[in-house]
Amino acid sequence: MTDADANIAEVSLCPVLDLQAAEPLRAELLALRGRPLQIDASQVSRLGGLCLQVLLSARISWAEDGLPLRIEQASEGFLEQLAAFGAPQINFEPEGAHL
Amino acid sequence: MDPFESIKATFFQECEELLTDMESGLLAMEQGDDDSETINAVFRAVHSVKGGAGAFGLEELIRFAHVFETVLDEMRSGKLHLTDEVAKVLLRASDVLADHVAAARSGGSVDEGRTVGMIADLQGLIDQDRAAELGLNEDGDTSAVEEDFGFVPVVLSLDEPAADAPEVDVAALMAAAAAPPEVPTADGAGTAGAPFWRVTFRPKAEMYAKANEAALVLRELARLGDVEVALDASAVPPLDQLSAEQAYLTWTIRLSGDKSEAEVREVFEFVEDDCDLEVTREGEAVAEISEPSFAADEDASASAVEAAAAAPLDLDALLARVSTPPAEPAAPTAPAPEPVAAAPLPAATPPAQDPARLDVAGLIALAEKASQDHAQTQSTPAKAEPKADQKAEARAAAGPATAATPTIRVDLDRVDRLINAVGELVIQQAMLSQRVFESGLARSSDVALGLEDLELLTREIQDSVMAIRAQPVKSVFQRMPRLVREVADMVGKKVRLVMDGENTEVDKTVIERLSDPITHMLRNAIDHGLETPEEREAGGKAAEGTVRLAALHRGGRIVIEVQDDGRGINRPRVRGIAVAKGLIAEDAVLSDDEIDNLIFLPGFSTADVVSDISGRGVGMDVVKRSIQALGGRISITSEPGKGSKFSMSLPLTLAVLDGMVVSAADQTLVAPLSNIVESLTPRAEDVHLIGGRDAVICIRDTFVPLIDVGVALGFRDTPLPPASGVAVLVESEGGGKAALLVEAIQGQRQVVIKSLEANYQHIHGVAAATILGDGRVALILDVDALVTTSRRKAPRIEKRMAV
Repeated sequence: MTDADANIAEVSLCPVLDLQAAEPLRAELLALRGRPLQIDASQVSRLGGLCLQVLLSARISWAEDGLPLRIEQASEGFLEQLAAFGAPQINFEPEGAHL
Repeated sequence: MDPFESIKATFFQECEELLTDMESGLLAMEQGDDDSETINAVFRAVHSVKGGAGAFGLEELIRFAHVFETVLDEMRSGKLHLTDEVAKVLLRASDVLADHVAAARSGGSVDEGRTVGMIADLQGLIDQDRAAELGLNEDGDTSAVEEDFGFVPVVLSLDEPAADAPEVDVAALMAAAAAPPEVPTADGAGTAGAPFWRVTFRPKAEMYAKANEAALVLRELARLGDVEVALDASAVPPLDQLSAEQAYLTWTIRLSGDKSEAEVREVFEFVEDDCDLEVTREGEAVAEISEPSFAADEDASASAVEAAAAAPLDLDALLARVSTPPAEPAAPTAPAPEPVAAAPLPAATPPAQDPARLDVAGLIALAEKASQDHAQTQSTPAKAEPKADQKAEARAAAGPATAATPTIRVDLDRVDRLINAVGELVIQQAMLSQRVFESGLARSSDVALGLEDLELLTREIQDSVMAIRAQPVKSVFQRMPRLVREVADMVGKKVRLVMDGENTEVDKTVIERLSDPITHMLRNAIDHGLETPEEREAGGKAAEGTVRLAALHRGGRIVIEVQDDGRGINRPRVRGIAVAKGLIAEDAVLSDDEIDNLIFLPGFSTADVVSDISGRGVGMDVVKRSIQALGGRISITSEPGKGSKFSMSLPLTLAVLDGMVVSAADQTLVAPLSNIVESLTPRAEDVHLIGGRDAVICIRDTFVPLIDVGVALGFRDTPLPPASGVAVLVESEGGGKAALLVEAIQGQRQVVIKSLEANYQHIHGVAAATILGDGRVALILDVDALVTTSRRKAPRIEKRMAV
């Protein structure tokens, strides 16, 4: 966690992740591809299925690149709804990837 | 506004429409219409209300709507037959449902006792066994449900839930499926003793597009019992290939608890058209899966299509075979309930315990059958219950209905602005033509011709704009059946309400103000007009009284009639009351009509006992006044023993007025055309002065007051010599006649009404104003006020002279 820290991209999720938020979120994350990603979920009050897809898709992409992707400071609402969705894993840590 | 709140507001708006549809359907049913389309329409309405309520978590509403809907569903499936009794209960239930909606909207609460009573009544319609089966009774034994369905399709699971691995790949799935004892859902409870529901839920993009949310559905499902949710995200592509509004996820939910299938499906009702859904009952987690069937499953639809093209298949035989699995000798591995697994693509395998009898063609055929059914019902396992087919039918029927003319909702405010602007346009256009005309351009000049086209266009725009605001009176009428039912219950009379002409259109501004007078007249008709059932029977009439509410267009006005077949007006009594209250002189000579019209006098009430319903201080005089305020008039015709008929006639709009443009004392005035009876040039010998002051004119042997408009409005003090003017015979709302003396009649014109009260202040004798083509303001006469004050004219003049 030294030189890579500077390269870490941070994204803050908006409170309502519904239908309308899905495409902007996709575009936002896509633009950050190729960098380790920290996603701040502290503001999230509602997480919808479409945005969940975007996050899962991002995980796949980040995993392909072998870069870490982390959800940070997940709000209670975010965790609760993630659990309701079957608690899929979103964080991705490449093996031995403590850059 | 919070988008959620605005969606909710839209829901309530839709609810109103749905409740209207429901009520009109129920009323048709009350008349004996048991057409399946009618019942379906009612069912759909209740169903949609419930669906929406589900999305907003309106528990009370959902609970009641569910019971209501279940009863309707029984009717749809022909298990419950339409009788008078049933129709009445349903109508009352619709009232309660409306109450629930209103309560949910305002955040209030509903009379719990009434709801509970209503639910009991509804449940009383279907016999208890069915009720339990349908999960209506809280303690309903759902195992009975299973036994009832003699045949449950054996469906195969493609994706066993793998709770700890979100990205399930097919190979892993196959491995998991091939090793049934390790299936995660088994978790120790997987014996016949603990059956559970396996729900496979795959939303489609349309579901999200309609602002439905998978999360809400899952949450709803979680309310039914313990759930284990497994997400299959294997279809999700990498970010650069992802389309944000596509749907890639599939959930498999294991739901324990003893809810009925109907209850489980209910959660998905709002979204069932927009998702793939499988609900299957599993008694134990053992699902034997054979490789070939799995392969067939992989691309069931594709191979099914090919197979169907390749060889005709004996579906009947195959189905027959499938429908008798419990009888197979190899049954022991499959204790009841039948092992069933869910699949996103429902490919049915024949009984797993008998693989030897399988042939691939049969399997494919079965798959084809299943996918056909699947395509048809989208979410209902083939033949699982009789409802399935009907649901598909209902949806098919709903198809054309939803494809009806598209409508939009617009703020009334915007329409009003448009109407105002168009009003100005009409005025400007008139002014422009007048200018052009005054400038001496030839009538055949291009400008004049262009102006004529413009005039036509303007008129068309004006008509179209007015049509935007025109609405059928249905929106008012639809509230009346309930009122009638309630009033009838309260006074212990039997009443049938017949409505006619609900589609008569009238301007929105008028509609809003129709409700009160109609309500009042209906109450009056039921309370005072109709006799009690005993009296009616004694009088040789049917015990049930009829009240007819009708709307029709007549002469550019809308006429609302309220007619009852009751006892009619008791004229001697009305007269007696009027005398007793000092409303008329004891020796007054009155015609029958005049006596009838006494009930419109302020302070008049014929009811001996003041009841809750009508006669609480506000009488027919209030009705009359509110109608007059709308520029309308009310009259009554009555025949003793046969009934009475109130008819009120109202202008179609309050925004434009057909008027006669007249001039008096150099002022241009407009007299509403609806008041004008005729016009004539008075002869000097027909005009008489009574007491040397008040002029009357003799028209066809009757004398009517002659009112000099110029004087009455204070434009001048000296009266116009009658012979030099024109008399316009007008009739006031009260039926009183008078002749208005003006200098000249300019012509008839449609004018845009501009409120004087809003822009200036109220002036006695003037109803409103308008702007003429030359830009001048013209006052619109308040004929009623002029007629009624003509008698007080003399003292006013004396006063003025004294000053």
